[in-house]
Amino acid sequence: MNSLVFHNMWAHKRRSLAAGIAVVIGIAFLTATLLLGNAMTRGIDNLFTEAYAGTDVEVRSTQVIASGERDIAATVDESLVDELAQIDGVATAIPVVEGTAQVVGSDGEPIGGNGPPTIGTNWFDADRNPYVLVDGRAPRARSAGAELVEVVIDSGVADTGELAVGDRTTVRVPEPLPVEVVGIAELGSGEQLGGVTFTWFDTEAAQEVLLGDTTALYAVDLQAEPGVSPDELRSTVSATLPADLEALTQQELIDEEMAALEADFLGFFKTFLLAFAGVALLVAAFSIHNTFAIVVAQRTRETALLRAIGASRRQVLTGVGAEAFAIGTISAAVGLGAGVGLAIGLNALLTALGAGVPTAGLGLTAGVAATAVLVGVVVTMIAAVAPALRASRVAPIAALREAAIDQSGSSAVRAVLGATVTAFGVAGLVLATEVGSPMQVAALGGLSVFVGLILLGPVVGRFAAAVIGAPIAAVRGQNGVLARRNAMRNPKRTAGTASALMIGTAVVALFASLGTSIKASLGELIDESFGGDLVISPEGFSGAGLSPQMSADIARVPGVDAVARLSFAAMLVDGRNDEPLATDFAQLAGVADLDVIEGDLDTLDDAAFAVGVDYAEEHELALGDEVTAEFLDGTTEVLTVGVIYANDDLMGDNIVDARMWERHTTTPEDLVVMVDIDDGASLADVRADVQRVVDQYGSPLLQDSDEYLETQGEQIDQMLGLVYGLLGLAVVIALVGVANTLSLSIHERTREIGLLRAVGQSRSAVRSTVRWESVIIAVFGTIGGLALGTTVCWGLIRAIAATEGFGTFAPSVSTLVTVLVVATVAGVVAAIRPARRAARLDVLDAISSD
Amino acid sequence: MNTQHAATLLEPPAPTRPAAARVRGAVKRYGRGDTAVTALDHVDLDVPAGRFTAVMGPSGSGKSTLMHCLAGLDTLTSGSVYLGDVDLGSLSDRELTRVRRERIGFVFQSFNLIPTLTARENIVLPSSLAGRRPDPDWFEGVVATVGLGDRLRHRPSELSGGQQQRVAVARALVSRPDVVFADEPTGNLDSRSGGEILEFMAAAVRDIGQTIVMVTHDPSAAAYADSVIFLADGRIVDSIDDPTAERVLDRMKRIGD
Repeated sequence: MNSLVFHNMWAHKRRSLAAGIAVVIGIAFLTATLLLGNAMTRGIDNLFTEAYAGTDVEVRSTQVIASGERDIAATVDESLVDELAQIDGVATAIPVVEGTAQVVGSDGEPIGGNGPPTIGTNWFDADRNPYVLVDGRAPRARSAGAELVEVVIDSGVADTGELAVGDRTTVRVPEPLPVEVVGIAELGSGEQLGGVTFTWFDTEAAQEVLLGDTTALYAVDLQAEPGVSPDELRSTVSATLPADLEALTQQELIDEEMAALEADFLGFFKTFLLAFAGVALLVAAFSIHNTFAIVVAQRTRETALLRAIGASRRQVLTGVGAEAFAIGTISAAVGLGAGVGLAIGLNALLTALGAGVPTAGLGLTAGVAATAVLVGVVVTMIAAVAPALRASRVAPIAALREAAIDQSGSSAVRAVLGATVTAFGVAGLVLATEVGSPMQVAALGGLSVFVGLILLGPVVGRFAAAVIGAPIAAVRGQNGVLARRNAMRNPKRTAGTASALMIGTAVVALFASLGTSIKASLGELIDESFGGDLVISPEGFSGAGLSPQMSADIARVPGVDAVARLSFAAMLVDGRNDEPLATDFAQLAGVADLDVIEGDLDTLDDAAFAVGVDYAEEHELALGDEVTAEFLDGTTEVLTVGVIYANDDLMGDNIVDARMWERHTTTPEDLVVMVDIDDGASLADVRADVQRVVDQYGSPLLQDSDEYLETQGEQIDQMLGLVYGLLGLAVVIALVGVANTLSLSIHERTREIGLLRAVGQSRSAVRSTVRWESVIIAVFGTIGGLALGTTVCWGLIRAIAATEGFGTFAPSVSTLVTVLVVATVAGVVAAIRPARRAARLDVLDAISSD
Repeated sequence: MNTQHAATLLEPPAPTRPAAARVRGAVKRYGRGDTAVTALDHVDLDVPAGRFTAVMGPSGSGKSTLMHCLAGLDTLTSGSVYLGDVDLGSLSDRELTRVRRERIGFVFQSFNLIPTLTARENIVLPSSLAGRRPDPDWFEGVVATVGLGDRLRHRPSELSGGQQQRVAVARALVSRPDVVFADEPTGNLDSRSGGEILEFMAAAVRDIGQTIVMVTHDPSAAAYADSVIFLADGRIVDSIDDPTAERVLDRMKRIGD
């Protein structure tokens, strides 16, 4: 039996190859994803290890407030350095200062800040400083009256900003700080921590500009004396520390950094890629399933003959299983190899785009290899289960009958089941807003509609092909008629082939429509609530913020009516981690509509607390109630609820006064500044004046409200671009499936094509017929996918609207139309090879074959 | 005696009976070297217009090859085939396709019809492929002749074998081709259905002057023809006019010896 399997596969090399291509592509993508992810983790781990090489134990404050982006820790006092240096086993105690510092390049553009942090820190000349100067010297303390602060920058910043030793530039901390570059440094290994930028100051200067307190430190790093292990040192040191300080070993610090990265950027990146690998594999599974189903149907007589001469059902089942196993194994192995190449290529691409991540070699590990091959084999085997079972059910008598066309597609059971599951899903999407957890119900509904449509495909396949083919038949004459009938003749096959394409296009439609809907929702929200004319924001979201001084300067510009600066104030409110918006209450009303329910914004003092109506309800707060705010500097303040507002979509749950917040933070900075101009003042004139002020603060971005909205949308568009790229792969797999199905169908119709040729169909007409059939299948799958994706998006946006209070469904019509056009063209492309094979068929062979 | 008949075939066509198709010095070899098989060995033949010609011979005699070459489905190793005045050997694939569509009709032993098309659509297929509509009167006439009136909307799978072959014959006739080639048209039919098909074909020759060439190995089928040509080992070895089943059978036996 096994030899028969391999003879079969060998005899149909091309068919086996075609079935395997889908697995190869899917596994290649999976492998590349796993390899890149692992390499990044290892590479970053190595970098942290190198960066912390000079630190055996770090002592820092335990007072941490979880903020949106990262945990913010309290500072420690400088005197700790000397105290720790006295402890037995401590060789050196190094003061560490850390904050945000973004270098402005020679072209005036701030460097970095689009994700990875822009770190400002102090330079120390200890033997075990992992950073070495490659040019210039270490920064010196600022001499009294000196205008410039000396800095060392990392070589990556020097390259990007075209800065050299001796250059003068600005560092945003976030106040623009005039600096002179006195040195350029990099890690001993020469590696760059992709995207992260470093600016080193003299310790005292760093304390002053980064922490605003010349006696404060971020932490103290300790180096152990020879013979003392980090763990021993930590135990010794910990014993002497008060409760608000903690000691961590080098390894704990690295683990902590890695965990933070995994939870944030790296984890997201990996999950994101894995999700698309999953989509690609799902599409591949459908393609393989379809190929096996067709092959099994075509082999019915052969199978029946085997059964007639004594093969058991189990043997037939095993035979198909063995074929799937062989195809799965070989394809997965090939995919694994292709994946290694893909990973290298992708990394080169990322590096070229400036987003390269240190990759400690893209070496293939046994774990990745095993995962990829196992997934490939399992996916193939699962996809082949149903066809294999069908093959095993072929009755011996079938050998004596004309091979009947597979009619199982439109069974009543399938129709009822498919309709029920679809209806259940639609109900989930529609009723999601009525239940406790709308998102979950909507997602479940979407999944259910998907499964329902897959089930219904064969039932509606004939009708769908008839409708889609009608205009083609009307326009393309006899070739169109034949193409339409061919697409209709085996609805199960047509639907199965279209399903693979449906998955890919559904995800495209879902993301595209989610993107446009989110943009529309944002636009609506900002339109409704934002009354300002100009917006100033730092470019990027992880760089230095805006200097609080800037908004004061802007307020003095003639024609400016209101300037509201916004930042987030990390604090504990009645013991809970919280991050209220910090702003000037009096100015806020000028630029945004809070929809105040109770209280008056104009009369609030700096100890006021404004709360959203939902927040007030949740925490049972009424006007005049007091809450306790606790800050990282160890102090507390009592805030009084002075306003309750309804518009918590734009402004969040609660708001405090920025002046109050500045008393408790070492690094006051604004995230956004909104400006409203006087009625009657010329926007262009005022904007020009504001621009002059802004330019003095390191060139943050000044935009009018429309431009600002557009910028917000651009980020969504960039994200969508990446999504489309990744989904392109799934669509390619689906098209390989279409080509495969067509080839198998053509093989089956050899005699028919021969007859058509004999009675006068030209070769080009044969090609045309195959091409149009392909287009019908592709359009069928695409319309299904677009409908599915758009419907699910509608359900999800409604669910978001129900939970978040805002959300506008705005399907991306242009994308939907584009996808349909692309799919039609892709259908033509997929048909190229099958059509050529069909046209090349020798008429005599075709009509004389039995 | 045989040579006498063969000789008459080589005579120039009589003015009253022009050749619809001619074969001159036709040689067809398959394979090369030791394994080469000569299917046609210098065959000369005139297919008289308006006549029903049967081609007979044992398996491997070259009769199907001869028909395929005559119909432009296969090419000769050497020699030439003329359909009317057109040298088929000089035509491109595109031109050959056009000739098949417009000037030749086919009836095969089995699988004559496109399963996705109805009987009517199958009958008009050659015209549809050319983007034309057949003459409706002629269409009605042909359909009436082969007796398919009420079955035109059916798919091939809903028709009996005999009905399917009638559709095939109707398709071959409806475009008024110069020649209809039939390859064992009754091979898959019971004798009654087969007889009906042959009767239609004979009637088409008699009533409308259709030229038909039929390959068969069934003497009783050959008996419907106006003349029978016998092939053996790639050569024309004999011919009979106005054959009867007995005479054909008798001749076949002698060829077999």
